[in-house]
Amino acid sequence: MTLKLEELTVDTKLQELKRQVTQEHINLYATVSGDFNPIHIDQEFARKTPLRGTVAHGMLVLGYISEFMTNSFGQNWLRGGSLNARFKVPARPGDLITISGKINAVQKENEFISILCDVFCQNQQNESVIICETKVKVNADEDCR
Amino acid sequence: MVKTTQQKIVYEQMSVGYEFVPSNFRLDAEKMKAFLNAVDDNNRIYEDNKIVPPMAIAALAMAEMALSLSLPLGAIHVTQNLEFLQVARIGDQFTSHASVSRKLERDKFHMLTISINVQNQHHVNILSGETSFILPLAATEEKQ
Repeated sequence: MTLKLEELTVDTKLQELKRQVTQEHINLYATVSGDFNPIHIDQEFARKTPLRGTVAHGMLVLGYISEFMTNSFGQNWLRGGSLNARFKVPARPGDLITISGKINAVQKENEFISILCDVFCQNQQNESVIICETKVKVNADEDCR
Repeated sequence: MVKTTQQKIVYEQMSVGYEFVPSNFRLDAEKMKAFLNAVDDNNRIYEDNKIVPPMAIAALAMAEMALSLSLPLGAIHVTQNLEFLQVARIGDQFTSHASVSRKLERDKFHMLTISINVQNQHHVNILSGETSFILPLAATEEKQ
């Protein structure tokens, strides 16, 4: 599932990930993170705001991106990954989120290779939920794992 | 989770360099499983290698920071930068340090950026990041 050394080239597409946002997952995230902002969990409150309904925590959706990167780069991502994310539109219960991305630069640095990726997180209407740039450092002489 | 109590600070009282009281928390197997369920992550890499998803550490560090922070209703989380520096193990104890790194107030645009650094029980840097919020002008003006 993780990328092999020969796949670490510019324009290599990363394996797509799809996740369905549910109110149940949002409630679980509120419990585990301690973020009980009513905009995430209180339908009645959220309906009266400009967002007109509950929305997922941005960090929950960012969790999908981290899983997406882990699927391609394994522990290399977990021990040396970085991301710059911009939240564009909120993810809502019922949304089907698709994470896609590709390698846009490969930089050799002695025994390591730095891989830069563009990652896109879109809802079922092709709206950008998050736009993200990621960087991960891998060993220059072995597959990701 | 071990809590360090601190009075909430409001946006108007914060200036660049303001440091939140460091907070401590622990990520055990149960908490990690709850996090993975919430984000619907079924990758076995964490359980197989007894390591913690770094986003779980980031989530808890931000939650700890949020306990000490009162932003106007309508504040929007607009950007998030994170760097994973080391793998963390299940059961590790973490200390999170947060401080205000930027406060922009230009006409109707108010933006607050908070830096977070997380260390494990051996004082090894595990994660760092920056969180930015845009604040609703009306709400900040009302309080002035």
